[in-house]
Amino acid sequence: MMTEATPRINASYLESFQGQTVRLIGKVTQLRGEQATIDANGSVTATLNRDCHLVLNNAVEIVGKVNPDLTVRVLAATDFGSNINFAAVDAVVNATHRHKEIFYESSE
Amino acid sequence: MDYGYGNYQNNAGGGGFMNNGSQGIGENSPGGSASKTYGKDTLRPVTIKQIIDAQQAHPDADFKVDGVEVTQLTFVGQIRNISTQTTNITYKIDDGTGTVEVKQWVDSDVVNSMDTATDAKPKLMENSYARVWGKLKSFSGKRHVGAHIIRPITDHNEVQYHLLEATAVHLFFTRGPPEQLKKGGNAAQGGAAPGQQVGVGGNAADNGGGQSGRALPPLSGPARKIYHTLETSPQSNEGLNVQDISSRVGMQVNDVLKAADELLSQGLIYTTVDDNTWAILDM
Repeated sequence: MMTEATPRINASYLESFQGQTVRLIGKVTQLRGEQATIDANGSVTATLNRDCHLVLNNAVEIVGKVNPDLTVRVLAATDFGSNINFAAVDAVVNATHRHKEIFYESSE
Repeated sequence: MDYGYGNYQNNAGGGGFMNNGSQGIGENSPGGSASKTYGKDTLRPVTIKQIIDAQQAHPDADFKVDGVEVTQLTFVGQIRNISTQTTNITYKIDDGTGTVEVKQWVDSDVVNSMDTATDAKPKLMENSYARVWGKLKSFSGKRHVGAHIIRPITDHNEVQYHLLEATAVHLFFTRGPPEQLKKGGNAAQGGAAPGQQVGVGGNAADNGGGQSGRALPPLSGPARKIYHTLETSPQSNEGLNVQDISSRVGMQVNDVLKAADELLSQGLIYTTVDDNTWAILDM
């Protein structure tokens, strides 16, 4: 199921990754039952599955599919704790797309 | 990296070089030809995509990433699957750039001591992150990493740290050292302590501190090396011939030609007496 690469993105890349499985790290800002809002350099709405255990205000890494309405259907979520340097997370997202040759096969 | 092949070659004439050269290496570093691999033994941070894309000239050859041989490597990823066999434990590890199998051999001698230790240490679990140190292996066409150590990640900043480190090393090999470090190196050469600066091939002292300190455009490692050689080697206004450069930097003639083409196209050097002799184009 997850053998393909899952490029690391943040909110600003959602549009260019519609329909693809991606990986994003953000801070959990709201939890509303099946839905959560995550701040990943912009707000992202995620649809959760039953196995997710998100912790409010903690960082979380989501592997999920970007829906056409730019919400993310979560396939797996990993709690990253409360001590994550989001500047480093942004730097990784930038490096991923600037130097994609070592991160993912581009469709172009 | 530079074993001073250039010096041996300068001292030896023609066929005598092979004998002289190999003796010289043997004296300087124990193990003779075997030391070549040891000297290159590096621990390289990589992404799993780089492992999958690694090139192998022929079966049994070392794998190359960005054209550089890799021996030991390290990466960080999420454990997707753990399967315990009698002789080894196989982990399927996914770092978002690809998936690779990692095998750790079970050493029956240490099993007992492990039993007591595992309770105290954080364990490797499915879907948790881990860092792997190991060697890339190929077995009947399938690649896996033979792991020396697999350690669970406790601070998830290490995931970001590792990916940035892998990017930095990738850029070092494909584009050469960062510009500000190179400038720092030049400043040191022109500065008050020339004796401390070894320089490429030990030739820097000949230049008398006349470094241009010119900002170079992004160049590949070999091109940068050759530019530096042209900049620092004593020469007439005819510049240096391809053979001369090849012996000074210990590179294949083909690679020198390729790198010189790159420098020519950037307008950094120009051809002098023939197509294979170049000098620095000073502005």
